[in-house]
Amino acid sequence: MMPEPTGVIHDIGYRHYEGARLGRGSAFGALMLHSLRGVFGLGRAARAKIIPFILAGILLLPGVVSIAIMALVKQQGMGYSDYASIMQPVLAIFLAAQSPYLVAPDLRFRVLPLYLSRPVAVLDYLGAKLAALTIAMFLVLAVPLTLLFAGELLVDLPGPPHTAEYFSAMGGAVILAVLLAALGLALASFTPRRGLGVASVIAFYLFTSVVSIVFFGVFMSIGRDVAAKWAMLINPFFLVDSVQVALFGTDPSNGEGYPPGLWSCLFVLMAIVVALAGLFLRYRKAASS
Amino acid sequence: MNAVVADITYRAMLGRKRIWLLALLPAALIGMAALLRLIGGPDEHTAVILMEKFSIGTMLPLLGLIAGTGVIAPEIEDGTIIHLLAKPISRPVIALTKFVVAASLVAVFGALSTFIAAFLLIRDESGVAYGFALGALLGGVAYAAVFMLVGVITRHAVTVGVIYALVWEGLVGGYVPGARTFSIQQWATSIADRISSSPFLTSDVSLGFAVSAVVVVTVGSLVWAGQRLRSLSLTGDE
Repeated sequence: MMPEPTGVIHDIGYRHYEGARLGRGSAFGALMLHSLRGVFGLGRAARAKIIPFILAGILLLPGVVSIAIMALVKQQGMGYSDYASIMQPVLAIFLAAQSPYLVAPDLRFRVLPLYLSRPVAVLDYLGAKLAALTIAMFLVLAVPLTLLFAGELLVDLPGPPHTAEYFSAMGGAVILAVLLAALGLALASFTPRRGLGVASVIAFYLFTSVVSIVFFGVFMSIGRDVAAKWAMLINPFFLVDSVQVALFGTDPSNGEGYPPGLWSCLFVLMAIVVALAGLFLRYRKAASS
Repeated sequence: MNAVVADITYRAMLGRKRIWLLALLPAALIGMAALLRLIGGPDEHTAVILMEKFSIGTMLPLLGLIAGTGVIAPEIEDGTIIHLLAKPISRPVIALTKFVVAASLVAVFGALSTFIAAFLLIRDESGVAYGFALGALLGGVAYAAVFMLVGVITRHAVTVGVIYALVWEGLVGGYVPGARTFSIQQWATSIADRISSSPFLTSDVSLGFAVSAVVVVTVGSLVWAGQRLRSLSLTGDE
């Protein structure tokens, strides 16, 4: 006869969570901070830090050189308002390289349902990702501008400091960051593959910039200067630059000027709305799968 | 060459979203050529600008990047390459097959669309269409080989490729004349320049150097990628 089985449940130390339950807002904040750190590779492998920091370093370079020029020859080096337009390929590469990281792994490894089983809603998730990328894009542009301004104040050039230019460039940087983040996330979210996401974001930038260059050249050569100026606005960087010109009265950085009026502000708003709508529609489907 | 591997690779390339990126850019090129024809008598100068900036300068590196990394990098990322490597097929043959697939895609989507767009704009004036089609073909083959090698070497292949194409060929090549000697884009342009007689096109690399550089880079990348596949390590990344 078999002895009666005596099962024992061992206490291996599982414990209940007894801390405060933070709500939706904290989840949003935590996700945003995590994403923002991830954009720069913080909290990821050392290999993930190389590319964002090299690109951020390249973005800083003209500022540093400019301060050296100011210190040595006492002349204004690089301007504030055209910093973004001049460095646009590097900003575009940064956007292309880092925006797929924010959305692609979550789609690829299907962890979105895990996020959504918590108090985080789809809108919170997207808002946190968008805010993280916006802050990152603003930082990589605002830090060099601020460094340049600090350098200018320290070198103490003859004449008044370019305070107004600095603040209008910072305003332009905010608009550019929102536009780029919305476009980058919308394009990157269409594929769960990181490589393909990088390719589609950079393809979008190259396509718009080349189309605007070609049409600008063709319109100029047949003497339709007004149409040529409209063609400049196809490039998102010059579009934001023209907003900067319209709102803050800075000098246009394309050397030709833009069509007058506030049309460019409307275009920027429309581009942001279209990108966000595309992003939201994409995630309405992704969340249910 | 291995027909089964080629077949699988073609299906992976053409059956997914990748095809959209591959097809959209050539479609945009032909669309722009048609639009330019509509808005005002297209001349040779316009055609050369469109070909140089859009076709060779933008579309070709992107197609090379998408096709070159696309044939092998997703498999390495997923780890499914191990099933392929476990088969009794020599690794250099796998590399060669994948390269042939990438190169044929770039040839069809890149060189053919370049020829159609140029022909649409100015017919066969000054041989611009033939020159750019051949330049795009040879340049595209070199891009496909180089970017496939990059895809085998690093997980961040597309980012590295974009940095090469934009920073080295675009920014550095624009200011430093010496850098142009080592740029696939310039080799493609110089091949186009030597074939066409258009006065609007200039290049500073000789035809002999450009063609031999394309051959050396393509063969070198292929051999290196084949060797690299023989000792590929599949370590996790993120």
